[in-house]
Amino acid sequence: MPTPSPARVHDFEVVSNESIAERIFSIEIAAPELARAISPGQFVNVAVPGNAMSLLRIPLSYVRADIDAGSIVMWYAVVGDGTRRLSRMKPGETSTLLGPGGRGWSVPDSTTRALLVAGGIGVPPVLCLAHELHERGIAFDVCLGSMSAKTLVGAEQFRYLGAGTVCVSTDDGTAGLCGFCTDPAADMLLAGGYDYVATCGPAPMMRKTAAAAAEAGTYCEASLERMMSCGFGACGTCNVETTEGMEGACMCGPVFDASKVVVW
Amino acid sequence: MSAVRMAVDVGGIKMKNPVSTAAGTFGYGWQFDSLMDVSALGAITTKGCAALPWPGNPAPRMAEVPGGMMNSVGLQNPGVRGFVEQSGTYLERLAGKGTQIICQVAGHSTAEYVSALELFCELCPWAAGFELNVSCPNVAEGGIACGSTPEAAAEVVRACRRVCDRPLLVKMAPVRVDEIARAVEDAGADALTIINSIPGMSIDIETHRSRLSRPTGGLSGPLLHPIAVRMVWEAFRAVRIPIIGVGGIMTGADAAEFILAGATSVAVGMASLVDPGASLRILAELEAWADRQGVSDINELVGAFEA
Repeated sequence: MPTPSPARVHDFEVVSNESIAERIFSIEIAAPELARAISPGQFVNVAVPGNAMSLLRIPLSYVRADIDAGSIVMWYAVVGDGTRRLSRMKPGETSTLLGPGGRGWSVPDSTTRALLVAGGIGVPPVLCLAHELHERGIAFDVCLGSMSAKTLVGAEQFRYLGAGTVCVSTDDGTAGLCGFCTDPAADMLLAGGYDYVATCGPAPMMRKTAAAAAEAGTYCEASLERMMSCGFGACGTCNVETTEGMEGACMCGPVFDASKVVVW
Repeated sequence: MSAVRMAVDVGGIKMKNPVSTAAGTFGYGWQFDSLMDVSALGAITTKGCAALPWPGNPAPRMAEVPGGMMNSVGLQNPGVRGFVEQSGTYLERLAGKGTQIICQVAGHSTAEYVSALELFCELCPWAAGFELNVSCPNVAEGGIACGSTPEAAAEVVRACRRVCDRPLLVKMAPVRVDEIARAVEDAGADALTIINSIPGMSIDIETHRSRLSRPTGGLSGPLLHPIAVRMVWEAFRAVRIPIIGVGGIMTGADAAEFILAGATSVAVGMASLVDPGASLRILAELEAWADRQGVSDINELVGAFEA
């Protein structure tokens, strides 16, 4: 029998929940057992109270876990009713979540320098990985993309964690380079020096990053987003088409070997 | 502790209690093993399998709608041999603990159903029975068509009956329920599962495109519960074989409605995706309800609805 998901249902309490950029929030929740169990790149499936007609949980990645404080921090974009309700949760409010779910980043031990390519609300799992790289003493550079300066998150945190370079790109040119972060990423990869690439963000961004990594002969992992019902392998709704067939993003991902992904 | 006898017999499948799980919402059972005591359930119905593996439909395969969800998974499955290789040991052990295993059978044609069922019969001695899914709304080549007319549904059941002496259930499409129920009963079905998800559409008004990879998908969840209860009642009046009621059960009260409408057993679907332990909570609530009713055996409540 395949290994069942490590996920459990946990109660949580909101510690803080505030806007950090346009339509992007940071929420800290107290969930001590989860904080001990979760690892970078995994996700949680959150039940957000407040609408009896909206039943499914919301899958969210996280930025960091604090075992001592017994809490985890997640960043999320307000894109629909569920995340809007989440943004209105106040400190002290409680709910449940299911986690940790899925397979996270698996940075090879041989890695000496990594390139992280993150865009939009794909930043959280990549920033979480940056914490791990910092702790492991692995050097890394970052290509960070956003629609505009108003929606840009993570640059300061990546720098704080010791990134060699943080190259910011915005679609409208209001911060950093004007354009997509995949262009500097491709240039940096071709210049060489990386033995690992991690990416999360819009599908076209990840596809281009994976292609550039493949061209440079560098191992690349991507964290994919899919609509998801259960989060632990029961329903088959979140599947990703890979070279090995359909694989559930909740169990075989959300982090995949990018060279295996057929449909982004 | 309730004194109500909860055991039921669904067409020869003897369940220790009337709560099972709906195919496609409970994986192959083991996915829930670390989240709940699966062996406390009366039965589980495993996700549909065909003779050979099916890849299912492209993403997106799920869209949430008010009061439910839509899916277009398309019966992705590893084929019967892959299913047995992956999940057989777990399911055999579960059967040994007294939870009945009902394996769902998928196909595009009568020949494919027969071929899959023959493999199931050969490779799954621990299976208590088989559910013929002639009503999946997400399979283009057959599926819904097989279960949408009495003649086509009966043809599948007759052919399958010839190769299988274990209990055969039919997962009904949500159309012409009484006619099709009678036809499959005459063709040799031992029980009915009512209903499958209902074909629906959900359109992204910004892009003008479906929110699924296909124009339509299967609608499930509490929004269709009253429709399913009505269809169970219609079938209960039309046939003598037992019925498993499925459709939007979120609470013991929802399950009780199915029992009163004529279901001998119930299967929990979407609720298990929202809360993995929902089926056991529903079992406890159902037992408490039966106790409050003052009966000694839950079977006394089957079809007790008074029009």
